[in-house]
Amino acid sequence: MKKKVTLIQSVWIVIITLTCATLLILISGASPIEAISLFFNGIFGSLNGSMEVFVKATPLIFTGLACAVAFRTGFFNIGAEGQFYIGALASAFVVLQFDGVSGVGRILLAFIAGFIGGGIWALIAAFLKSKFGISEIIVTIMLNYIAINIVGIAVRTFMMDPNGNLPQSAKIDKSVCLMQVLKPTRLHIGFFIAIAVVILVWIVLEKTTIGYELRAVGYNKRGAACNGISITKNIILSSFLSGGLAALAGVIEVLAIQKKLVENISADCGFTGILIALLAKNHPIGVLFVAIFYASMQVGASSMQRQMGIPSSIVNILMGLIVILILGKQLICPKKKKVREEKVC
Amino acid sequence: MAILEMKHISKSFFGVYANEDITFCVEAGEIHALLGENGAGKTTLMNILFGLYKADKGEIIWQGNKVSFHSPKDAINAGIGMVHQHFSLVNAMTVVDNIILGMQSDGLFINRKKAKEKIKQYSKQYNLQVNPDAYVETLSVGERQRVEILKSLYRGAKLLILDEPTGVLTPEETNTFFEVLRKLKKEGHGIIIITHRMNEIMEISDRVTILRNGKLVNTVVTKETTKEQLSIKMIGAELEKREYIPSMEKGKVVLQLQNVCLKKKRNPLENINLQIHEGEIVGVAGVEGNGQKDLAEVITGIQKHTKGSIEFLQEPLEKQSVRTRFEKGISYISDDRHNDGLIMDMSVMENLALRTYRGLPFSKFCFLNKRKMEEIGKKVIETYQVKTSGTLKEATPVKLLSGGNQQKVIIAREVCDTAKLIIANQPTRGLDIGAIDFVRTTLIEQKKKGKSVLLISADLEEILELSDRIAVMFGGKIVGILDGKTATRQKIGLLMGGVIKEDMEQ
Repeated sequence: MKKKVTLIQSVWIVIITLTCATLLILISGASPIEAISLFFNGIFGSLNGSMEVFVKATPLIFTGLACAVAFRTGFFNIGAEGQFYIGALASAFVVLQFDGVSGVGRILLAFIAGFIGGGIWALIAAFLKSKFGISEIIVTIMLNYIAINIVGIAVRTFMMDPNGNLPQSAKIDKSVCLMQVLKPTRLHIGFFIAIAVVILVWIVLEKTTIGYELRAVGYNKRGAACNGISITKNIILSSFLSGGLAALAGVIEVLAIQKKLVENISADCGFTGILIALLAKNHPIGVLFVAIFYASMQVGASSMQRQMGIPSSIVNILMGLIVILILGKQLICPKKKKVREEKVC
Repeated sequence: MAILEMKHISKSFFGVYANEDITFCVEAGEIHALLGENGAGKTTLMNILFGLYKADKGEIIWQGNKVSFHSPKDAINAGIGMVHQHFSLVNAMTVVDNIILGMQSDGLFINRKKAKEKIKQYSKQYNLQVNPDAYVETLSVGERQRVEILKSLYRGAKLLILDEPTGVLTPEETNTFFEVLRKLKKEGHGIIIITHRMNEIMEISDRVTILRNGKLVNTVVTKETTKEQLSIKMIGAELEKREYIPSMEKGKVVLQLQNVCLKKKRNPLENINLQIHEGEIVGVAGVEGNGQKDLAEVITGIQKHTKGSIEFLQEPLEKQSVRTRFEKGISYISDDRHNDGLIMDMSVMENLALRTYRGLPFSKFCFLNKRKMEEIGKKVIETYQVKTSGTLKEATPVKLLSGGNQQKVIIAREVCDTAKLIIANQPTRGLDIGAIDFVRTTLIEQKKKGKSVLLISADLEEILELSDRIAVMFGGKIVGILDGKTATRQKIGLLMGGVIKEDMEQ
C-alpha cells in the first residue's frame, strides 16, 4: 500500500517536471519536441557525448559520497565545495613541487595530500562542533569562502605560472595526468577510481563495525553514547572521511581535466553533492546512479544550448524543482498518518 | 461560595479510568492542594478543567454557571490560569512581550507602555517582583515563575492552577513564593496547587484533596489532619498481598558507592552510600526526578561522578567508559527506551548488537557478520516472543515495535551471561500487564542466578514486591534504606515526601 502511494507521487513528480520543462523551453522561444530530441541526442547521439556523462559524473560522485558519509553520522557538511578547492590546491602544489618523483609516485602523493588536506578542512568544523557546540553548517559554509579565496590568492602568488600572467598555475607535466582510456573522448581513469571508491565506501558503511558506529551516531547520538559508542570519535572520523572524499574530486579535476590549478575549478560540484546525497538517501550506490543521472542532464542541456541557444540553466531549474518535489512529496499526495502497530505482548 | 466545582468527573483512556467519579470544589480565597502519587490522576483532572481534555462524564461549575471548555483559550477567557511545571515562555523576548503574547491589542499597534504600567501594578499588588524589560533568558527560575503567574493575572485569572510549583525552586525562593500565594489568597483568588511535598501542603494549603488510582479518596481540612494521615491516604493503607521471594543468602558485595556526588544545578547527588550484594535486588523508591536517573547514569558511566568512589567487584570505577563498564558486567535497562536504550531507526538485530558488535559473534576484524546477526535476531525473537511485522522479522526497525516488544529487545541485550549487575530504571513503565509480568519475572530469575539488580521505580507496588532492600531518594540524597520485608508503604511514603529522614544504617 505504501508503495502505491509513492508510485502515484513519482508519476506526479514526472508530470510536473515535464510540464515545467516544456513551459521553460517555450519561453526561450524554441520548439519543445526539437529541444528534447536534441537533449537526448546530446547524451546518446555520439560516443563523445555518452562518455562526457561519465566525465562530468566523476567529481559529483565524490562530492555526493562525501555528503552521504557526513549526513549519515548527522554531521551536516555543507562544505564539500571548500574541501574540493583544498584538495585541488594541495594536489597541484604537491605535483608541481616534487617534480623529481616519478609520475605514478606523484599521482599517489597528490591523492594522499588532497585527501588529508580536505579531511583537515572538514575537521575544523567537527572540532568546533564537538568542542564548542558551534553549528557545523555555518562553519563549513564559511570555510567554503575561505578555501575558494585561498585558491584565488594561490593562483595569483606562490602558485602562479611564472611564464604567464593569467591567474592560474603552471601546467602539470604529462606524466602525472590521469590516463585517458577511450581517446579521443575525455573519459579518464578517474571515473573508474570513483566506482572503486563507491564500492569501498559502501563496504565500510554497510559491512563493517565502523559504518555501524557511524550510523548509530547519526540516528541517535544520545542512544549511541548510552551504549558506549563515542560521539566525538565518530563525528571526527566521518568529517575527516567526508572532507577527504570531497577533496578527491578536486584532485581528479586537476590531474585529469584542467591539468593545472585555476580559479572556479569546482563549478559548484560541492553544492551539487549535497543534492545528490539527498536524492540518493545517503546510500553510496545510490550516489553513483544519481550522479550519473545528474551529469547526463547537464550534458543533454549543454547540447541543447549549443545547437538551439536554449539556456542550459533550465536543467538547474528543473533539478531544483525535482528536489523540492521529492522532499515535499507529502504535499502532492498526503500519506496516511502513521499508525503505530497495535500493542502486542 | 465555591468559585469552582467539579462534579462526578470521569475520564478514561483506552478503557482505563484516569479519573473516576471525582468531585471537588475550590472556594474563592482558598489554597487547595491536590495530592497523589504519579499517575493518580491529578494532571488529567487539571487538564480537563483547563480544556485540554474533555471529560467523559461529569460537569464543571465555574462561578455558579455550568461550563464546558473546549480549549485552554476558553478556560483562560473564563478566568482560569495554569502554570505548568515546564514554563511556556519565549526566552528571547522581554517579560512585557511574554505577558501580552497572544492577547488581542486595542488597535494595530502594541501599546507596551500601557501594558507595562498594568504589569507594574500587579507586581506591586502581589509582591511579584520582576523587571518588565528584562529578557526572560536572563531571569532565574523563580523569576520566570513569577512571570508565569503575572501572565495569568494579566489575563484576569480568578483561579490559578499550579503544577508542582516548588519542584524547581530553592528553599528561599519557595518562601517568597508562598508569600505571593498568601497575598493572592487574601485578594480572593482561588488556588489549586499540585504537589507531593507533605511539608509544603501543611504549610500553605487550607484543604487537601487526595486522589489515588484515579479515584477520589477524600477532601480534608489541612488543620485537622497530619502528614502521616495524608501519606497513608495517598498511597493506600490497605494491606497488600505480597509474596515473599525467599531472600538469598547475602553474597559478597558487588557494587559499593561511597559518598558519591554529582554536581548539577537541580537535585545534585549528594553523598550517596549504597551497597549491593550478589543475588540481591535493591529497590530505589522516590518521586521521579529526585536523582534516581543520575544515580543510574553515574554507575553505568554515562555521567561521571564528581566526588566519592564507586567500586565494582572490589575494583574502583573512576574514568572507565560506558563500554568498559558493560564489559565488566554492568548492564543498564534505561527508563527512556526511545532515546537511551535503543536506536529506533535500526533493526532488531542491529539493536541487539549495540553493546557487543565489536567482537565475536557479531563481527570479526571490523567486518560485521550479518548472517550471525540474523541468526541471533531470530533466536531472540523466538525465545522472547517478540512480535514483529514484516517478513524479515529480525530486520524490522525497532520503532515499529510496541513498547513491550522494544523492552524485550533491550532485556535480551542487557540481561546477558556476562552481566553481573543489572540496573533497571523504570523497566515496566508504559508496558501492559503481560509485559510487566515478563520484566519482573526476568529480574527475579536473575536474582536467583546470583546476579544483583538495582531496581529504580516510581511504582511502590513494584518496589515492594521485588526488593530485598529499599533505598528511598529525595532531593538527590538517599534518605533511608529499609528492609524489604518490614518496609511499609507509609514509611516509604513519608521518606519520599521528604517528611522524615531515616538514620542511615547499613
